[in-house]
Amino acid sequence: MTTLDPSTLAPSTLTPSGPHRYGPAQAVRAEFAKLRTLRSTKWTLLVVVVGSLLVTFLATNNIRGRGRGFDSTNHSLTGLALGSLAIGVLGVLAITGEYGSGTIRSSLAATPRRPLFLAGKAIVVGAVTLVVGEIMTFACFFLGQGILSGHAPTATLGQGGVAEALVLSGAYLALLGLFGLGLGLIIRNTAGALTAFVGLTFLLPVVLQPLNQHGNPSRFAPEQILANSVAAVVHQPGQLSPATGLLWMVFYCALVLVVGTMLLAGRDA
Amino acid sequence: MITVEGLTKQYGGTTAVDHLAFEVKPGVVTGFLGPNGSGKSTTMRMIMGLDRPSSGTALVNGAPYASLPWPLREVGALLDAKAFHPARTAYDHLGCLAKTNDIPRARIDEVLDLVGLTEVAHKRAGKYSLGMGQRLGIASALLGDPGVLLFDEPINGLDPEGIRWVRFLLRDLAAEGRTVFVSSHLINEMALTAEQLVVIGRGTLIAETSVAAFTAQSALDAVRIVTPMTACFLAALDDAGADARLEDDGSIVATGMSTAAIGELAADRILTLHELSPLRGSLEDAFMELTHDAVQFGSRS
Repeated sequence: MTTLDPSTLAPSTLTPSGPHRYGPAQAVRAEFAKLRTLRSTKWTLLVVVVGSLLVTFLATNNIRGRGRGFDSTNHSLTGLALGSLAIGVLGVLAITGEYGSGTIRSSLAATPRRPLFLAGKAIVVGAVTLVVGEIMTFACFFLGQGILSGHAPTATLGQGGVAEALVLSGAYLALLGLFGLGLGLIIRNTAGALTAFVGLTFLLPVVLQPLNQHGNPSRFAPEQILANSVAAVVHQPGQLSPATGLLWMVFYCALVLVVGTMLLAGRDA
Repeated sequence: MITVEGLTKQYGGTTAVDHLAFEVKPGVVTGFLGPNGSGKSTTMRMIMGLDRPSSGTALVNGAPYASLPWPLREVGALLDAKAFHPARTAYDHLGCLAKTNDIPRARIDEVLDLVGLTEVAHKRAGKYSLGMGQRLGIASALLGDPGVLLFDEPINGLDPEGIRWVRFLLRDLAAEGRTVFVSSHLINEMALTAEQLVVIGRGTLIAETSVAAFTAQSALDAVRIVTPMTACFLAALDDAGADARLEDDGSIVATGMSTAAIGELAADRILTLHELSPLRGSLEDAFMELTHDAVQFGSRS
């Protein structure tokens, strides 16, 4: 003990131990904590659960003995339309809430590598909405089949395409959450981003309706992709296949997230 | 240590910060002084890597902020009184920040205790007063126990007791060997808190000096004279080369001559004196004078 090792003289009790710099693990842990510690997250997820099950209940309850071509899987997933709205809101709020409150400055000061900050957010939003999305899809399916049984044809998980439709529908919800995140990142303002989200996802197909004789453009709108492609076991003519539909969703997400990341990287916070 | 060189920020056609260069050293409180809108906040945001400089560099401990391995453990900043989500509790806000830089949980309780928010730590921050929000901002800055600290107008919204507390806190932090850079538009507050000064006006550097030097250099050396022989005294002052003017209350205010010289002048000319007193210009006046000039003549090509 005659010489002093400089490392023992470190002034701060918080001297880094472990990794030599912050990285994805820290970003993900922080983003998960942010999501978990906001009441709005719990409320939004409650709307996803209650709304989806309620709409599925209403949509399946009064159906009586349909014939061939009746897609009981797709019918039982009707409630996901409302659930997907709430999931999108979750994605939007995950970033616009930071801009609205000024938290974005604390966040970017703590994680100055902005793409990393955003990756953490996208991983957390994607993972949470994927888990919730899959659970809700299966819950809606079982609820719907339970109600349909006895007065309409029902589906089981073992039937061709049913499990695939359920898994893809859950994935669709996660992608929609990321789509909301990307829009929020580009627009930054909660009201504006929510308007854009609802407009592009739910209203665009309505607007495009008159053009549907000419190439059916509304099939490319997210909500139509869910209703006619991803959740469909009985393939409908003129609609995208489940895999193609989901790929379009991946494309939309990538587009808004890449544009958003580029804007974030160059923008003053 | 903060090193700013040629730092410039332009928004469209206007220049908010114009070729700013200065250094902030550890161990003392350095005041960042300038009128509202002079570019203090913009400069601080550029140091923190939040705003992108149009040109020039801002380095913290010799490196750009964005390249720091553990930013919150090296630099802490209070930039906005309300840089937290109103629906989150103070404890959760600090908890989220702590996770970004692997800061141990025990440190959260430490800083909450330090700023006096322990009792309301689990209340939603949106319900806080401006002063409590300011304390939470200071707690966030101290969270990583950093060696470099930036505070943008930290006493805004604080009561007198809170202002005193911040003053002592800043001095203590500097005494521990940290770099403390604190902005204010109030020169008197800076005179009490800071040792070094960086003064800017219209985004350009006006002075980089010590508080003592700034005070001495900027005191307006005017002398107040009360005499029943006003007209003769004015003439005598004029002969002696001083600038003199008659005030509304009948007294004379002279500049350009010391109190002693005016006393001797009165004795030479056998002029009656009722009062002869130096008028020390307030720091505020000096600051206004300096920055006023910067506003008028500060634009450069």
